[in-house]
Amino acid sequence: MSTARGTEGRVVGGALVLLGVLSLWEGWRLHALRTQMVAGAVVGDDTFPLIVGAVMLLLGAGILFVARLPQVKAARPYGEPRKRMILGAAVLAAYWVILPYLGYTGSTALVSTGLFRAMGGYRWPLALLLGGVTTGLLYLLFRVWLLQPLPTGLLGL
Amino acid sequence: MDVLSHLASGFGAALTPTNLLMALLGSLLGTLVGVLPGLGPTAAIAILFPLTTVLPPVPAIIMLAGIYYGAMYGGSTTAILLNIPGEVASVPTCLDGYPMAQQGRGGVALGISAIGSFFAGTLGVVGLTFFAPFLADQALRFGPPEYFGLMVLAFTVIASLSAGSLVKGFAMAFLGYFISLIGLGPSTAEPRFTFGWGPLMSGVDLIALVVGLYAISEVFIGLEEARVAITQKIRNVFPRLADLREAFPAILRGTGIGFFLGLLPGCAPGVTVFMAYDVEKKLSKRPERFGKGAIEGVASPEAANNATSSAGFIPLLALGIPASAPLAVLLGGLLVYGLQPGPLLFQKNPEFVWTVIASLYVGNVILLILNLPLIGMWVWLTRIPYGILGPVILLLAFIGAYSVRNSMFDVGVSLVCGAIGFFLRRHQWPLAPMLLAFILGPLLEKYLIQSLSMSGGSPLIFFQRGISLALIVGAALLLLTSLALVRYTSRRVKEETAEEMAL
Repeated sequence: MSTARGTEGRVVGGALVLLGVLSLWEGWRLHALRTQMVAGAVVGDDTFPLIVGAVMLLLGAGILFVARLPQVKAARPYGEPRKRMILGAAVLAAYWVILPYLGYTGSTALVSTGLFRAMGGYRWPLALLLGGVTTGLLYLLFRVWLLQPLPTGLLGL
Repeated sequence: MDVLSHLASGFGAALTPTNLLMALLGSLLGTLVGVLPGLGPTAAIAILFPLTTVLPPVPAIIMLAGIYYGAMYGGSTTAILLNIPGEVASVPTCLDGYPMAQQGRGGVALGISAIGSFFAGTLGVVGLTFFAPFLADQALRFGPPEYFGLMVLAFTVIASLSAGSLVKGFAMAFLGYFISLIGLGPSTAEPRFTFGWGPLMSGVDLIALVVGLYAISEVFIGLEEARVAITQKIRNVFPRLADLREAFPAILRGTGIGFFLGLLPGCAPGVTVFMAYDVEKKLSKRPERFGKGAIEGVASPEAANNATSSAGFIPLLALGIPASAPLAVLLGGLLVYGLQPGPLLFQKNPEFVWTVIASLYVGNVILLILNLPLIGMWVWLTRIPYGILGPVILLLAFIGAYSVRNSMFDVGVSLVCGAIGFFLRRHQWPLAPMLLAFILGPLLEKYLIQSLSMSGGSPLIFFQRGISLALIVGAALLLLTSLALVRYTSRRVKEETAEEMAL
């Protein structure tokens, strides 16, 4: 078991500081735009980003340098679960890339088979069978029942 | 009388075949997802939300409400039979439900849980029927500063959703506000945080965010944990008369505690269930039986859980304030359908409101009728291997996120949110405040801008108008109350599970 408290506090605190600065910067840009474009307006699209940015900056700095957060022990996944998680995430990311090109049918058949193989550890024949059935059922649900247009890809499938 | 005639017309609409089917489908799907170990109501709604977007608003919200109710019920099944609470609201049910299951009385515990849930849920909806229109009437006098006060009041909910750390809760809430800023500005339609990139112009889609944070991250969290299936056989789920006699006063007390505390914005079921359990133990003549299979220890928290869930619809529908994460998703659902919860909802869309209220009565009956005889089937479903369930949930979430706006950008947002949600959940940063702030952010901004425009930029306007001042003072008091309740609940959760859990 490793203690990740320091790391996660730094990650979230740092992200808040960065986003806070970004929000203040965007708010300032919008403020300049408003004063040029809308005469006499005392508030506008810049007001909320400026407030949110200032609070995020303060909260982020507070988390980084002052706050004592409850200690959370989060063990890093290892072994088989870790392998399944990494493979599953990779297959899902690949789905996002190939779906517009291969279309729903081809990409879902490939990806579902890959997910059953990667996350469930099933042998290829069973993973292929499960992938085919899932692709068909999801097609029936989304395309036939809910009448949702699904990507057809370069081959129009 | 007006209320009753509205309710009668609501029943007329709720009992149409389509709406009945949606209530049935929602209850079934909700129970199915809720019964799977580790998946709570929020994850259930997140996974199934995209399926409802193709429906018209009334059947869609009826289905979502059914999913919510069903998932709440399903959660108690795993709590009783496996000692695994899907959400913190099911922790007290484990304390006596699981010992009952070990003594071979799991069926009776499930039966009492279903009956208590039905009774409390129905009484909660009766309260909703009469109290929500009254509250909405009062709120009709609201102008932008009062609505801003209301949004500040809603902000206090974050305290109870902060998993014991207010700093973490606020950090997540402001992250949610930040994400809600992306898109076109509400005053001049000037792009904000888009950096000239077209897909960002329409902002981050709620469903993409919810699916990523709750559904995708849930699957990967599940891969980390060793999942178990219910192997024991459930014989009789119908309690004996003696069981009912023993449990009924506890159900009544649990309902009262759950309903009245549930009216407070920021009082989630996670808080009231522990309160109900502890009161029951204190009032018992034989408190030593608690923790060893006392039927009141199941009846009271289950009743409180459902009464609070029903009571949560009152601030949700009448004021637009969700009291818990699943209700925040439901609020998002209403907004997706162009319905703004709050006092005007009762004025502008009475058919919608009363049909949904009537459908809550119907949903409670459906759950009672379905769940007692179908418990064997739910138990069997927990045996589906996670190697099949995980990929199916991921594919459903992926295609669901795409289907809302036919956008690969939304799918990308879901995947990124899934990764962020996974990281945050593993380190117990609460996601519910982020979701709540993301949903309420645009409203808070709108009322802030309108109010400050009225006052020429002076924030004193919020303190010069009676109702707005009362709401802001009320928010401060509620924040203090919520903090005390959260501290009490966090201590109790730690005592019982030796873990920190989001309420």
